[in-house]
Amino acid sequence: MTSERREAPGQTPDNATAAARARDFFSVPAPVKRIFDKFPLVTYPANDLPYCSWSNRQGNRLFVFTDAAGARHGRPSFNPQCLKWQAYLRFAGIEFDIIPSSNHASPTGALPFLLPALPVGNNAPIPSSKLQKWAIEQVHCEEEQQLNTRFEVYASLLDHRIRNAWLYALYIDSENFDAVARRLYVDASTTNPAVRAALALQLQQAARAELLKTSTFIDAGALEAEAGEAFEALSALLGDSVHFFDRPNPGLFDASVFAYTHLILDEKMGWKRNRLGKLLRRHENLVQHRDRLLKFF
Amino acid sequence: MVLELHVWGPAFSLPSIDAQCLATIAYLSLALPKDAWVLVASSDPSVSPTNELPALRNDNTWVSRFRNIVDYLRQYSSGDWDLDAELTGLDRADSIAFTSFLDTQFPPLLALSLYVTSQNYYTSVLPAYSSQILTWPSTWLIPPQIRAAAKRASDHLGLSSLDLVALEEDRKREHSAAVAAGRLPASLPLLKATTPAPTTAGLVPSHRFRMEAVTAAAFEPLAAMLPPQKDYLLGGDRPTSVDCLLLGYGSLAALGSESLQDAWLGEAMRQKAPRAVEWVRRMQREAGLASLPWRQPERPRWLTVGNTLWNTVADATPIWREYRANTRMHEIAQSHEADLSGEEREALAEYATGYKKDVWLSVAAVVGGAAALVGYMAHVGLLGGGDGDEEFEEDEDEEVEVVQPELPVSLNATDFLGSMSFS
Repeated sequence: MTSERREAPGQTPDNATAAARARDFFSVPAPVKRIFDKFPLVTYPANDLPYCSWSNRQGNRLFVFTDAAGARHGRPSFNPQCLKWQAYLRFAGIEFDIIPSSNHASPTGALPFLLPALPVGNNAPIPSSKLQKWAIEQVHCEEEQQLNTRFEVYASLLDHRIRNAWLYALYIDSENFDAVARRLYVDASTTNPAVRAALALQLQQAARAELLKTSTFIDAGALEAEAGEAFEALSALLGDSVHFFDRPNPGLFDASVFAYTHLILDEKMGWKRNRLGKLLRRHENLVQHRDRLLKFF
Repeated sequence: MVLELHVWGPAFSLPSIDAQCLATIAYLSLALPKDAWVLVASSDPSVSPTNELPALRNDNTWVSRFRNIVDYLRQYSSGDWDLDAELTGLDRADSIAFTSFLDTQFPPLLALSLYVTSQNYYTSVLPAYSSQILTWPSTWLIPPQIRAAAKRASDHLGLSSLDLVALEEDRKREHSAAVAAGRLPASLPLLKATTPAPTTAGLVPSHRFRMEAVTAAAFEPLAAMLPPQKDYLLGGDRPTSVDCLLLGYGSLAALGSESLQDAWLGEAMRQKAPRAVEWVRRMQREAGLASLPWRQPERPRWLTVGNTLWNTVADATPIWREYRANTRMHEIAQSHEADLSGEEREALAEYATGYKKDVWLSVAAVVGGAAALVGYMAHVGLLGGGDGDEEFEEDEDEEVEVVQPELPVSLNATDFLGSMSFS
């Protein structure tokens, strides 16, 4: 269109009128233009941060998906990614408060992130990808990936197989979505029904897009079978040990496993159809591992 | 009944251009007697009802994907054709974990190397498709589809800048936009690219670092996985299904400069996991990839060609595509051959119905958007006035088409929640 408009003046008058009419069609309608001519009416100062009982705490603050009561008592988050880091920092013995938040409040667009008590660098929040490095600097625990060659390989079971089955079970299984995800993620963030509907639709579509990245269609049976295999492999890896890789204290891998096993087995989640729970309960040692780690909370 | 294995056709002196197909070929070659199966390079996913290759056909039964084929062969032969039969305990756990690791790490890297990297795609992969694998007119339809899928699959690695042709086009478009907007005089020629980058060596430093990181994430654990002085991944004395899978992914990842113009992935593999490269070469000989029971694929008939064309058009049309994916899922849920328990079938059918609602929602959004546009045009007097001349009417039709895609047809969830952690 642009080039056509630019050429218009040099052409015959007949064409020029047609172009002028086309321009009329694309110009802003008069009533709308009148409104926009008045902008900006007033520029307001930025809003203050909402006042909460936790906004003036001094310690390390970890922002996760949780509710107010859960935050007060430091209970496990209901989001596996958040719970993984919450559990890891807890296992490493770092003191921190948890604060309910949402993706929209995060500088990276994803939870969790941490505001340290003693700021590093330019007082920037620490995203989850850098939390392990920060924790190692704080308490000088070891970097487990370096200690065992199996770490990365078995971690792919959690990041891929179990995560995909979790996405299916939570977001795409409609009964579970209505009973669990809608209550925890949608209803908690707003009371406006229109926003709720849009948010729910977005969550489901994003989960679907994520699953369709790796296959041409979503095969629920295959996802569950793969998750079942993954639990079997993790159970064999744990064996009779107390913690993964025979460590004396629980570490990052234990936290990653606990993040899923706890939420799958947690009665409070209110699952309507818990196929993953059935698969997981076949492996007694993983259930005991979860029960042991739950004592940290 | 002789089993038929349908795969993507050969390229780069390998029996297939697709890693999963290579793995399946190696598995059948190692596990089955020579006269029990034939290999058909049909290179057309629509031969199988699941629309995927590799696909194994036994009379009327079709099984697709490497893992499902391995499982099917075990059941079909009542345990005779099973390379994993002897695995127990931790070995079986390792097998599952290695499979998951390979399936997670390698497909995006191969997608980047073969399809997104524009020099490789235009000088090696596309010619391989048009000369060896596909017949006209599929050569025009299928490679761009695969490339688009590869771009989606490797999006999260943030290395789309490997597509230098697209970058150059963007630059040209920006230039002409700047000229059109009057910011640049039209006489000013478009400068040559500031970094004359014939290969990825000219990538901006931040992207080089990222490329280092993503290749290290795949190859360093791989190097650590290969047991020293052992022939196979799990340390036994015969190959297992994981060996076949690594052979499939490794063969394509290790392609050197003799096959690809910009062999950055092969280079990284040689640096970070040199033993894996040797391992892949040795396994290729052992799996007998040089002598396979090939059978000529059927010559494309007009019906198949028409079918491919129809599928391409359908899959390129936004709402229709979703509707088709959804009906395909419906068929799977309702077919009784599918190996699903009652509860699973019910869940899948329910999901498919829910999906249908979404499709209707987007149809409604598009119709609503179009109605609003027509309403607005009627309001400003462009429609129904009857005084517009012929030429003008034509103009207007074009404009309708130009404007429509820009309407807020539906909320773009991926943009909004792209970075949201779902786990």
